[in-house]
Amino acid sequence: MSNKFIGQSIKRVEDKRFITGKGRYTDDIVLPGMLHAHFVRSPYAHARVVSIDMTEAKAMPGVIAIYTGDDVADINGVPCGWQVNFRNGETMREPKHPMLIPTGSTAKHAGDAVAIVIAETKAIATDAAESVMVEWDELPAVANPAEALKPGAPKVHEQFPDNTAFDWSLGNPIEEVDAAMAAAAHVTTLEFVNQRVVPNAMEPRAYIGAYDEMADKYTLYTSTQNPHLIRLLMCAFVLGIPEHKVRVVGPDVGGGFGSKIYHYTEEALVTWASKQIGQPVKWTSDRSEAFLLDAHGRDHVTKAEMGFDADGNVMGLRIKTVANMGAYLSTFAPAVPTYLHGTLLQGLYVTPKINIDMTCVFTHTVAVDAYRGAGRPEATYLLERLMDLAALEMGMDPAELRFKNFIPKFDGVNEPGYQTQVALQYDSGDYAPVLERGLEMLGYNDFRAAQQEAAKTNKLLGVGFSTYVEACGIAPSAVVGALGARAGLYESAQVRVQPTGKVSVFTGSHSHGQGHETTFVQVVADKLGIPMEDVELVHGDSDTVAFGMGTYGSRSLAVGGSAIMKSIDKVLEKGAKIAAHKLECAEGDLTYDEGKWTVKGTDKSIGFGDVALTAYVPHVYPAGLEPGLDFSSFYDPANFTYPFGCHIAVVEVDKETGKTTLKRMIAVDDVGNVINPMIVDGQIHGGLAQGIGQAMFEGTIYDENAQLTNGTYMDYCMPRADDLPLFETDRRTTPCPHNPLGVKGAGEAGAIGSTPAVVNAVIDALWSGGHQVKDILMPMTPERVWRAMNN
Amino acid sequence: MELTGSHTLDAPVSTIWTMLMDTDTLARVVPGVTRLEKTAENEYLAIAEIKLGPVSGAFTGTLSLSDIRENEGYTLHVKQNSKIGNADATVSIALKPLSDAQTEISFDGNARLSGLLARTGQRVISGVATTLTKQFFANVENELAADPTTHS
Amino acid sequence: MQVNLTVNGKVRQADLEDRTLLVDFLRDNLRLTGTHVGCDTSSCGSCTVHVDGVAVKSCTLLAAQADGCTVTTIEGLAQFNANGTIGQLHPLQEGFKECHGLQCGFCTPGMIMTAADLLSRQRNPSEHDIREALEGNICRCTGYHNIVKAIQWAADHTPAPLLADHHVWTNEPTTEPAAV
Repeated sequence: MSNKFIGQSIKRVEDKRFITGKGRYTDDIVLPGMLHAHFVRSPYAHARVVSIDMTEAKAMPGVIAIYTGDDVADINGVPCGWQVNFRNGETMREPKHPMLIPTGSTAKHAGDAVAIVIAETKAIATDAAESVMVEWDELPAVANPAEALKPGAPKVHEQFPDNTAFDWSLGNPIEEVDAAMAAAAHVTTLEFVNQRVVPNAMEPRAYIGAYDEMADKYTLYTSTQNPHLIRLLMCAFVLGIPEHKVRVVGPDVGGGFGSKIYHYTEEALVTWASKQIGQPVKWTSDRSEAFLLDAHGRDHVTKAEMGFDADGNVMGLRIKTVANMGAYLSTFAPAVPTYLHGTLLQGLYVTPKINIDMTCVFTHTVAVDAYRGAGRPEATYLLERLMDLAALEMGMDPAELRFKNFIPKFDGVNEPGYQTQVALQYDSGDYAPVLERGLEMLGYNDFRAAQQEAAKTNKLLGVGFSTYVEACGIAPSAVVGALGARAGLYESAQVRVQPTGKVSVFTGSHSHGQGHETTFVQVVADKLGIPMEDVELVHGDSDTVAFGMGTYGSRSLAVGGSAIMKSIDKVLEKGAKIAAHKLECAEGDLTYDEGKWTVKGTDKSIGFGDVALTAYVPHVYPAGLEPGLDFSSFYDPANFTYPFGCHIAVVEVDKETGKTTLKRMIAVDDVGNVINPMIVDGQIHGGLAQGIGQAMFEGTIYDENAQLTNGTYMDYCMPRADDLPLFETDRRTTPCPHNPLGVKGAGEAGAIGSTPAVVNAVIDALWSGGHQVKDILMPMTPERVWRAMNN
Repeated sequence: MELTGSHTLDAPVSTIWTMLMDTDTLARVVPGVTRLEKTAENEYLAIAEIKLGPVSGAFTGTLSLSDIRENEGYTLHVKQNSKIGNADATVSIALKPLSDAQTEISFDGNARLSGLLARTGQRVISGVATTLTKQFFANVENELAADPTTHS
Repeated sequence: MQVNLTVNGKVRQADLEDRTLLVDFLRDNLRLTGTHVGCDTSSCGSCTVHVDGVAVKSCTLLAAQADGCTVTTIEGLAQFNANGTIGQLHPLQEGFKECHGLQCGFCTPGMIMTAADLLSRQRNPSEHDIREALEGNICRCTGYHNIVKAIQWAADHTPAPLLADHHVWTNEPTTEPAAV
């Protein structure tokens, strides 16, 4: 097969509509007779609904309907898709998240809805919602997960007085780890907070529910990362309506970063309401609601200890973390602090003994779930902060300390995969070259000299390292099932060759910025040896795409792409039968290249288009062979994929003000084979910005009543263009040994590696100025950095 | 939101006390309050309209006085509900005679905010508090100036 | 109230509720949905359009305030053929595609309109100038790296007179008012 397109930075096919303003996001869609919804929400983090007075609101002209908790009592809550039981076997505690909080019940976080107001215009719905008078009985609330565990803390759910959702541990027996730590020559201890951040996709969530009485069919337009998954969850678990009577469309979606994986109450409510009223109902979140209601990320409080022998070899790792789950368990939530986090805590170091102890707690806050990286950034942050701090404490070079401890190279083909102490078997890895390349790009020796000079001035220089490994392409269904997933995590694809030889590819992956319409087409065009113009990618509609698990966990190409490859194989296999018949030879005598089958050693050949036409006009055709050339496949991967890389940050810290300037951000990533380098670089850039954002700018602030006090872009600091430098990126390539494209995934890497690199750089700068601080709370605001220098 | 401040007024403590215990005067000097209706002893229905930067809205709620110590001070409890969120403030007001003709008035307390009010514009809300405080003292001074009988 | 304005070369008039924001008028009345709403505090810049040739966040402006003005949205930036199809993209539109300056595309119209305003004022902006100019626009996908590159590309690939007068890239107003 030719590689005309794979590996090329082909400009994106989808760009034309976006740069001309013709993208079609859910809020852009207007259906005939469409009504608008606005929700009445709890202003308190914890409060009982005493009464709801809708008299004034119902009387307003243009108001069509107002529904409260009593009206939707028959609808189930939104489900959790993953079950992680307590260590002692007790079942995970899974409180129901009602659609609307009924009178007499309590709202569990600010923004919990009590009523949906549906009106002719958005303005009327908003006005009417503001006229719904709710009497509240405010109750004490807690937002901090460590506080929630203390005796006497406000209870989130009365039936779970200790506020614990589940606990979990992984690794070697604690006695063995304790012994390893006791024997260590040096132990680096770090207590830190991995703060809560808000995903902030630029397109706020938007939904339109539309019920067609004649067809008895619902359509839901939703800004989601996985339309089929939403259909499954909404039909089977929430509304109890038959799946074949529901069409879910995820049109253009303006970013997700995890926050649009989950099934939200509003999706089910607009769908349900459209049948009650007989007209389509649209709801679009405003930014303020997005801050309150989109699932948040991170939020760990951790104590971590890493033990070393006298030569700097890692001997053991002991971790105790409290993770915030929010008030309810969201779709993927239990997997994030456990199987997507604990299993990555060996990193890329030979570590003889590891023990991880997680306590996952309820608080009066919105749910925490997967946000770009989901557990892996938390794991990497923990490990990489420890590595750089240990190097400073032991007077070792942080790069040398890493080289010393790296797991040796293994390709997963000639050498087996690497079995960690924490369940996973890495597929392939070659860790030293990414750090070597990073150091080369940095100009490490020159940097240390410049740093010494800078230490004499008011502007300290610092460098921070982070070498990470992550797990992508989630993952074999049997494995995730054993770990508590309530779904399989395969992907489906259909390759439909049209009679003229043009190809429609249907994928269950969903593109919301990743550029699938380009990369997937590059793969298909190359494998079939036809022009890219002859291939179209179809995604995001449950009526046209047979099934799909969607896009998250950097899985689209590794899992979705592999499913497409399986269908292409089937197309070529059947095509060869038809070609052999037409060319009057044996299938084994044929080769396929450049879009045609050729009889080996001859110039006799038949083109892909001719074979396609023959398949649909089977006049001269192999006996017993079905007409048509259209194949569906499901691909269930053999393992996760394990990309890795090295991120290096260089910062300048103003001694007078504590202001940190990010001078350089270097990223050398190994994401396996690359289909479109331009798009992979773009993914890395975006991830870096989000990781840097967490280190320097972003973080929720809750007051003592669990009110989110920075729920707008005026108050929550997003990284902006003038906060960031141009990024310096490079790649190394270690193919994935277990999928047909050898790809690993690139969507999350940037956000996983960068955060600790930036924090380490500031700590390094401070040490160079004689301030031997161990930690600075993220986001590292000038005030926090200044206080770190001035106690 | 912290609410603290102090100010020296050119009037004897008894004059200030009388003003602060008079419903109509109170309605005039508390920033934004447009009307106070007595509902019980030391309890009032308060209608307020505040427009300051990102904070604007009509508030209805209750205002009550407790811990009343003549010529010394009282605790003011304001509970306001609005479309943009709710505020619940407890402020202790203290009067201290500096001389026969001068009184220092100070207050100390905080307001708990919820809803949109809580998550929008926290960064500027301390500025709002400062402005409201200044307005309050200016209003009291205007009252004193407008009523010559209050001057000793 | 009655509002008259010229949008992408067409005179438009409408009877609107007083409180109608310009962005809602563009999206809901004119169905020009390329202008997006990403926040409620005029912080994200997704709604940026040109009013009388200057970049403005259309969520901050009442439609009534734009009465009598000329408005250009992302839909009006390219040059069009007589049959309404796109004739030539604006250099910034080309630049964003060429340099992968967009991913999900949601902030893109606002980014392009802000950058068009910058380039009409400044022929050869430095990286620093570009980053400063984009300060009011948030992108969550790209880390801004390729947006900066895209704007530099446009500056490098555009004949100076075209950039100096951005109206070259908008079609002349028609004379017939079209009611909406």
